[in-house]
Amino acid sequence: MRTLDRSPAVHRTVVSDRREPVPGIAVLGLIAPRLAEMTLPGQFAMAIPPGGGQAATALGIYEAEGTRISLMLVIVGPRTHELAALPTGATLDLIGPLGNGFELDSLGENVALIAGGVGIASLLLPAQSLASRGKRLTLLYGARTADALVDVNRFSELGAKVACATDDGTRGHSGFVTDLLRALPKHAFSGIAACGPSPMLRAVGRAAAYLEIPAQLALEETFACGVGACWGCVVPHAASSVGAPIGLIGAPPQAAPRPPHAKRVGPPTREIADFSYVRVCKEGPVFWAHELRW
Amino acid sequence: MGARTSLVNSKSATLSQPDVSVNLGALRLSAPTLMGSGCYGSGEEYAPFVDLGALGAIVLKSVTRHPRLGNAPPRLVSTPSGLLNAIGLQNPGIDAYLENDVAKFADRPCAVIGSVAGFSVDDYSYVTERLAARDEIDAIELNISCPNVGTEGETFACDPALAEAATRAARRVTGKPLIVKLSPNVTDIAGIARIAEAAGADALAVINTVRGMSIDVDRRTPRLGNASGGLSGPAIRPIAVLAVWEVAQAVKIPIVGQGGIETARDALEFILAGASAVCIGTGNFTDPRAPLNVVAGIRDYLTDRGHAALSEIVGKANPQFLGVR
Repeated sequence: MRTLDRSPAVHRTVVSDRREPVPGIAVLGLIAPRLAEMTLPGQFAMAIPPGGGQAATALGIYEAEGTRISLMLVIVGPRTHELAALPTGATLDLIGPLGNGFELDSLGENVALIAGGVGIASLLLPAQSLASRGKRLTLLYGARTADALVDVNRFSELGAKVACATDDGTRGHSGFVTDLLRALPKHAFSGIAACGPSPMLRAVGRAAAYLEIPAQLALEETFACGVGACWGCVVPHAASSVGAPIGLIGAPPQAAPRPPHAKRVGPPTREIADFSYVRVCKEGPVFWAHELRW
Repeated sequence: MGARTSLVNSKSATLSQPDVSVNLGALRLSAPTLMGSGCYGSGEEYAPFVDLGALGAIVLKSVTRHPRLGNAPPRLVSTPSGLLNAIGLQNPGIDAYLENDVAKFADRPCAVIGSVAGFSVDDYSYVTERLAARDEIDAIELNISCPNVGTEGETFACDPALAEAATRAARRVTGKPLIVKLSPNVTDIAGIARIAEAAGADALAVINTVRGMSIDVDRRTPRLGNASGGLSGPAIRPIAVLAVWEVAQAVKIPIVGQGGIETARDALEFILAGASAVCIGTGNFTDPRAPLNVVAGIRDYLTDRGHAALSEIVGKANPQFLGVR
């Protein structure tokens, strides 16, 4: 068996298909043989803007099968408009696969997938992988409105029980997807894999702690570099659990005696904290909920 | 010593590749492209995508005397043609940095420039001395212009007396090439440049980010955790080109031009204004191949116009360019 080299690279991909499953959300199919082979559930890619002039866009890899991958994007700004408008046959350069995926083996036999909005994009590959290993799946899926729920059938086809929540009550529970979770008894699932906006993930983390269910959260953050270089996408994390990243905080070192001529501008800046800021793009985007200090 | 030593007959440019090497003081770079501090990690983050040997230099993330947690997120906001950041000099402090990080810079196939930030003249002296003593570090960039640590960090680039004191303090403790990074957030950048030159800088980095802010009108709060930040990207390029133009009329040490460079033509604006080299920061986030494209495009430009060396065109759009001594 050959070992698969999973190190990220710049891949030139070709648009094979595109669709808008719901208004304002596009799924862009790309021929990307190496990415399709390498990508682990929960990893992401940076799309280099074909026209330049703006930062690359981080996108979760939605599907990966054979030689094809797909990316799901909310069409909101100039970057996503440009990507969503790419015609079939156009080339798109992607950096990937990036970040660490879900630790699916740690989630047990009865797994809840919890998605908020376009966070659903990072949960299909985990769902497929878990289903292929015979795990029981439940999808809890929240969105603004019924029309913003994407590809629910893809999950039910995998045998997942599905419960939805919408802000306006047009489908399923009227309210937050986390309400569905909170209504359940302790240990209702053996594990949770979630992706969505930060406020939702924080609520999932709190509910999971109360229900005593281990939860892995895939964070959606604004990235600049996406590769760990700029430290722009950080999240507070229990310091002890991550190797020794830059920013690891302990007691401040003993200050050297200051010579009398030394001129100081402002007070010394030294912080002590029981967390450090770690990079969502590098140490994440998937974190154990109980290790985040947010 | 200086960057403009090439006296090759321009006819030979058609026979061989034009010379794009550059000298920043005693630091000789095989390419005129530096990777901006805080934008390129330590280089290893980009090694999977970019041949680091094709780069001129990597300017490392700034290190301070004591560990710094950095600013609370959000640290980034996209703005039209720009990126607003407020990282806040997150770093492990010079002790841990020397112990854990510096050794791995030894095998970088390009020059490695350490970046020093501080909050007192003594900080600059102390951190520069310890960092520059390491063989892995080829030169020092003095970051006296970080806009994201209250008013303290940038004060050094905005106050002539402090700019002079910090530069002199660093100069006193190392013989390695010393690059001083200037802030655009001043009334007279040329004046500060002259002071840094007189205080012993071997080169100047022009410019750091431009102070800025973005407000979320729905939540009625600034978008950045630090409230204010530093703006980079194409939005600041004209500001940076003018700053280089003005500094090039004031000093005779090499200038590293930076601010929104993504393409060779962007870089050439800085070079024609008087920069001997350019630095790419945010441009790497658009496309990690940008530095390679910039060098290739500069070579083409020189070849097309019959130049044998990049040094021949430095400052060529700037009538009052003083030249590099």
